[in-house]
Amino acid sequence: MDRRVVITAASAISPIGHTRDEILHSLQNGISGVKPLRDDGLLSDRIHSQVFGTVSADIDFDFERKYRKTMGPVAFYACQVVKEVIAQAGLSPEVLGSGRLGVAFGSTHGSPTVQRGIYETFFSKSQKRFASIGAVDYLKSMVHTTAVNITKMFGITGRVISSSTACTTSSQSIGFGYEMIRFGRQDAMICGGADEYDTTTVAVFDNLLACSTAFNATPSKTPRPFDAERDGLVVGEGAGAVLLEDYDSARRRGADILGEVVGFGCNNNGGDLIFPNVDGITATLRIALEDARLNPGDVDFISAHATATKMGDVIESQAIRKVFGERTPMVSGLKSYMGHTMGSCGAIETILSLYMMAEGFVAPTLNLDAVDPRCAMLRHTPGLTDYPLKVVGVQNFAFGGVNTCLLIRKV
Amino acid sequence: MTRNDIQERILTIFDEEFEIANPGLDDDLREAHGFDSIDAIELLREIEDMLGFELSQEQKKRAMDNIRTLNQILDYVESLTPETA
Repeated sequence: MDRRVVITAASAISPIGHTRDEILHSLQNGISGVKPLRDDGLLSDRIHSQVFGTVSADIDFDFERKYRKTMGPVAFYACQVVKEVIAQAGLSPEVLGSGRLGVAFGSTHGSPTVQRGIYETFFSKSQKRFASIGAVDYLKSMVHTTAVNITKMFGITGRVISSSTACTTSSQSIGFGYEMIRFGRQDAMICGGADEYDTTTVAVFDNLLACSTAFNATPSKTPRPFDAERDGLVVGEGAGAVLLEDYDSARRRGADILGEVVGFGCNNNGGDLIFPNVDGITATLRIALEDARLNPGDVDFISAHATATKMGDVIESQAIRKVFGERTPMVSGLKSYMGHTMGSCGAIETILSLYMMAEGFVAPTLNLDAVDPRCAMLRHTPGLTDYPLKVVGVQNFAFGGVNTCLLIRKV
Repeated sequence: MTRNDIQERILTIFDEEFEIANPGLDDDLREAHGFDSIDAIELLREIEDMLGFELSQEQKKRAMDNIRTLNQILDYVESLTPETA
């Protein structure tokens, strides 16, 4: 079995907006969602990077207690975007509970907010509440908390995949969901990822000297992918979900088709767990093109991973150049608007690309004032550009050496 | 604590912690109100706070195995003493 797989609904909670209109407005007007880091009473005053890609939308999580009781903040985000995707697609309880619809959804490490509470209890001098660490805290904080809170809330009985591969979490969700449908194991998959506001992630990258620190007074000026003055990534939060389904059944039910997933590349560098690898990334991009049976020249636009670290952007640029030659597709680093939304970045950047595809424009990399000469071989999107996008590539790379590339075509 | 006192405290816990207002004394809590095993574990913690002592594993298992209604919860709480914990 080899079926076509299409995206028929999408929703994101992002630092640049929650609704489609808000996100488009930010992209079309160069509005950043990077804000000052909030005081968390624990780590924030010891972190050098004082910026964060912050969700500022006021979201009314109207969930009943029977669902809320097993949810940490990350699951609230996840269930909200999935609720919106299900409503957009008009999926019935019968379809959701058919066993033919599954969930591929993950986060970097469950809910660090809840985990922090657990550790506080562990290290509390009072043992009084020790016995209370049990089912609820685990269900709220566990790595697959997003996926199974989604299945619970919406009565989904199909397969569950819960990738937890840091920055490739949700691009893997979409890729593995695509393969699940393509090869006939499921007819539809709700795919995505989420990560909540979390300073421990900032602290990790801060300690690795990978975070932006030079723009603390002007948060919207960072991150600066591909720019000569870039000084590191900005951690962010958010969630993104898409509904993938078999093309024929989507057509039969008259669904809006936002795009077709035509290729997925995924591999590992097989070595260093932190440093990106040009050969590994190059191979991923080629695997995706081969999977899609597309030539490099067929791709119009690349949403680059582009975290704005010193070497990551250079290595990604080299890989793009190796695969696509002298005239590369237009390239933008969408993290320039939002920071690095971690486990949700692949899904959010896919959704932003779908929105741009639908509206026929490409948003440029924000804060790209002077291109680093080592990244200058790319065709950087030269400002807000009207363009009838037909094929876009969404690239993401993660700690652990995991690389992904999704190729999406307008139908 | 009288049975009425216990009932008042338990009903407050049901209202505030579980958003279940005024359940009938003989309602099957799972069937009628969706009160599940996670809620039961939470309730046992609340009961420990209310009584001011920790329950033994055996006492907790007895609750999880046997209790279905509010009246049974009241019987259970009345039967608990720190000496048996």
